[in-house]
Amino acid sequence: MLPAPLAAGVLELALGAVLLLVFVLNLFARGEDRRWLAGTALGGVLVVGALSLVVTPAPAGPGGMFVQDGLAIFAKRLFLGATVIGLLAGLGARPASGRRAGEYHLLLLTSLLGMLVLASARDLILLFVAFEVMSIPLYVLAGFLKRDATAVEASLKFFLVGSVSSAVLAYGLSFVYGAARSTDLAKVAQAFSTAEPLLLLGLLAALAGFAFKIAAFPFHMWVPDTYEAASTPFVAWLSVTPKAAGFVVLFRVYFEGMGERADAWMPIAAGLATVTIVAGNLMALPQQNTKRLLAYSGVAHIGYMLVGFAAASAAGTAMILFYLVAYVFSNMGAFLVVEAVARAEGSEATAALRGLAQRSPLLALAMLLFLLSLGGIPFVAGFWAKLYVFWAAAAAGLYWLVLVGAVLTVVALFYYLLVAKRMYIEAPERPGRIQLSAPLALALVLCALGVVALGVYPKPVVMAALRVATPLF
Amino acid sequence: MRLLVWLPLLVLALPFTSFLLLAVVAPLRRAGRVAGAVGIAAIAASLGGALLIWNEGFRHTATWAWLPGDGGPMATVGLLVDPLANAMLVLVTLVSFLVQVYSLAYLADEPAPALGRYYTYQSLFAFSMLGLVLSPGFLQMFVFWELVGLCSYLLIGYWYQRPAAARAAVKAFWITKLGDLGFIIGIVMLWAATGTFEFATLFAKAQAHALAIPALGTIMFLIYLGAVGKSAQFPLHVWLPDAMEGPTPVSALIHAATMVTAGVYMVTRAQPLFALVPDVLALIGWVGAFTALLAATMACVENDIKRVLAYSTVSQLGYMMAAAGAGAAEAGFFHLLTHGLFKALLFLGAGAVIHAVGSNDIFRMGGLFRAMPQTGLVFLVGTLALAGVPPLAGFFSKEAVLGGVWAAHMTWPFVMLALTAFLTAFYMFRVVFTAFFGPATAAGHAHEPAWAMRGPLWLLAALTVLLGLRLAAGGGEAHGPAWLAPLSVGLALAGVALAWAMYQRGALDPRRVAAAFPLSVLDALARRRYGLDALYDGLYRGFVLALSRLVGWIDRYLVDGVLNVASAWTLRGGDALRRIQSGVPQDYVFGVAFGVLFLVVWARLWMR
Repeated sequence: MLPAPLAAGVLELALGAVLLLVFVLNLFARGEDRRWLAGTALGGVLVVGALSLVVTPAPAGPGGMFVQDGLAIFAKRLFLGATVIGLLAGLGARPASGRRAGEYHLLLLTSLLGMLVLASARDLILLFVAFEVMSIPLYVLAGFLKRDATAVEASLKFFLVGSVSSAVLAYGLSFVYGAARSTDLAKVAQAFSTAEPLLLLGLLAALAGFAFKIAAFPFHMWVPDTYEAASTPFVAWLSVTPKAAGFVVLFRVYFEGMGERADAWMPIAAGLATVTIVAGNLMALPQQNTKRLLAYSGVAHIGYMLVGFAAASAAGTAMILFYLVAYVFSNMGAFLVVEAVARAEGSEATAALRGLAQRSPLLALAMLLFLLSLGGIPFVAGFWAKLYVFWAAAAAGLYWLVLVGAVLTVVALFYYLLVAKRMYIEAPERPGRIQLSAPLALALVLCALGVVALGVYPKPVVMAALRVATPLF
Repeated sequence: MRLLVWLPLLVLALPFTSFLLLAVVAPLRRAGRVAGAVGIAAIAASLGGALLIWNEGFRHTATWAWLPGDGGPMATVGLLVDPLANAMLVLVTLVSFLVQVYSLAYLADEPAPALGRYYTYQSLFAFSMLGLVLSPGFLQMFVFWELVGLCSYLLIGYWYQRPAAARAAVKAFWITKLGDLGFIIGIVMLWAATGTFEFATLFAKAQAHALAIPALGTIMFLIYLGAVGKSAQFPLHVWLPDAMEGPTPVSALIHAATMVTAGVYMVTRAQPLFALVPDVLALIGWVGAFTALLAATMACVENDIKRVLAYSTVSQLGYMMAAAGAGAAEAGFFHLLTHGLFKALLFLGAGAVIHAVGSNDIFRMGGLFRAMPQTGLVFLVGTLALAGVPPLAGFFSKEAVLGGVWAAHMTWPFVMLALTAFLTAFYMFRVVFTAFFGPATAAGHAHEPAWAMRGPLWLLAALTVLLGLRLAAGGGEAHGPAWLAPLSVGLALAGVALAWAMYQRGALDPRRVAAAFPLSVLDALARRRYGLDALYDGLYRGFVLALSRLVGWIDRYLVDGVLNVASAWTLRGGDALRRIQSGVPQDYVFGVAFGVLFLVVWARLWMR
């Protein structure tokens, strides 16, 4: 048995071991096809994921900086699950299994390590460090296709905006430290009840930094360029996991230990949610590239999650967690369909999906499921996700916000169904099935199963989310 | 015993698996007869499971929370297995199985993809009905209820290229939907008042007199409306005769085991709730008896063999509902079971006849008993059972219904039902004498059908006889006063005798009888189906179409106008907002700066 402080961090230690293993193996790797290395990384994450299913909440580590509570475990399972799907989808294709496979996986796993620590961080310093450990590899990964000028440009933009946001975040956190005279989040929460203006300013600036990570409007500008330029399996993963991590941080900093005072964030979050929903949905409308379309629709989804944040209640928090789980399956699934079609057609435009239903009916059906889930149609996962965040917001009295969200859902359905129309009504440009590699097909099946299972029987996940969210308040 | 917990689930899951397989795996579906084999194998295994459950007399309730809500689940799903469900499971799986076997021969000339589609629907139909039967609460029942409606729509319209079939399918869908509207409003009102959909909880409350809801009468009436549509009660019975446009085996399925029995089953299942509202119960009884009589008169003037059987189903459903209304739901359910056997038999027999003759008109048949003695014999068995001649199964269940209605002191419904018994014997033997014994008008090419069709017929005939004999041997416990059995036998025999005199012996000319004064009016009315179809048609044309034109105008000029402006502005908004995504990194950094400013200003304005 590990000593208590280490037991709390067992997942992080295990992932660190996987990282080292991949690093060492990479030293001996030769040749173009390094699928085995990618497979090793995937296997390692699977082991850590299996481990995460058996860990139990543990007492806080040294000085209460590192906490393995229900929320942390829930979030870590989500990160690891999403990573498994993401790595599976990249298996056997470039760049994840090419000559630079080792580099790719080292970066991705380092970012994942940052997320795992972040989910447990209850101290400003640890939080910031974990946040950067998560972020910096992402910049590199965004520009991983270094011979592709657009990828390098997108990566640079991502890095630039990211650095500014990190600076704002660090600046904000320094104010928080100044006002609360502690880096311990529990002390910050206590200090918040005195309504110190400097503390408020610091927390607002920090919020801007976090809003960049979850890509709320107007901090979302890096999203479409990065998504369009980077490799799709990576984007699928990027579109869900760091955002989930961002939300966990929001819960830790703005809700945990605040009690009744958490209500103070209601107007800020509601305002941010409104502009994000409106802007995300409207900007998705004119898009012709499926990845850009999903990028903007992803911004809109963050807005819907912020609706749950605006509720500033245990129910709202739980429903965001449920939303994130649903979002992992539907959004990753949609990106992976784009990847499958792009591998065959060499195009990521919505036009490439024309007549997909005639060419590969099952692939089209899967895409339809993901789109319906993203659109919030009953009996697929996304419906409950939207219903529950709206429910939580209505319970908090935010009826106008629910109304805005519901109206913009119609706009969202319009552009999702436009894609569906291309698949089901328009004639294919050329005949022939789309060939799927086995790992990608498996990843797609996992996503489709998740969407349907959550849609038919959401209860276990909802209950688990409620269980971990309740102690925060 | 542990195994039996999973058995009902398996019975339910098998047809669903077959449906999924056929729906998803296109080559399997397009293979036609192979698809049929898959469907038949699944339902046969289901039948085996159902028989095992029934034999063990298994009782079990399992519910799982489904939709989580604040403070406990909003709704549950699960399985409710009790004697009522057990008997129904056997009937549904048995008839579905026989119908699917029979269809293999009956639809042998269909193209393979169409046949595959047929079996896909059949599997879904069986699954839906089994799910309905096993429902432990109103919500789950409603979901499957709608699925059953959907499947019958699909199967009635199986030959969708034929306009009449397509129309009949739509008619069946909409008329039953009218009733379903009441059903869903009723169960939601009930849920709002009690907070549960579950039968067990509701019945417990009913028993403890804790269900004193002011609107309970209204609620139960609305729920009953669902059964009016599904079980083809007056005035929503008009869809059932038209539903004959589907293939004959589908008619057998709809009339005997699935679809129309759902309404009676629901009323039987919810009997403890209906018992709380005597007014609604009396209404059910009166409407049932009236439906029975009305449909019987219409059956007397029909020349289409399937339509005669369809009206007789409406009539017999009236019997079942009348029993439920009299508080003798178990008698009604008993009649449902026996009726399911011999009505399936009659329809499948009629299918064999139609298959051989190529026409539905009984006056174009004749002398068929000589050409197809086996079919004739089993059809005769079914007819005797339906007419209520002892010792066949129909006699006992009909007597039970009559006894129950009499015991509830519903004198007029009783008289109507007794009259119906007489008419039933008359119109069924009218068919038998004309089609099977009259002078041979058919061109003589009639022949016995294939074994896949004869086998189910013999099996159903044997079951009808054996069940009757077993009931007779069991003494057939007295269901009413001593004069009831002689009366009902007498009425049946009188009906047979009249039919014999009119259509076999020729002692009475049917045309002269119909022209005699009080009957002539009735005859004219019945031939026009009491003007109900015309009335609905007129209502539809005059009222619904006028309303829809008005709504269409509003939609085109007002709603669309507003929406077009709104969507144009939305698209323009999207285009304008897109422009802030300039691709210039400086602008992105400005975005962050602007965002920080926005947060601070917003907080200053709104934060308390």
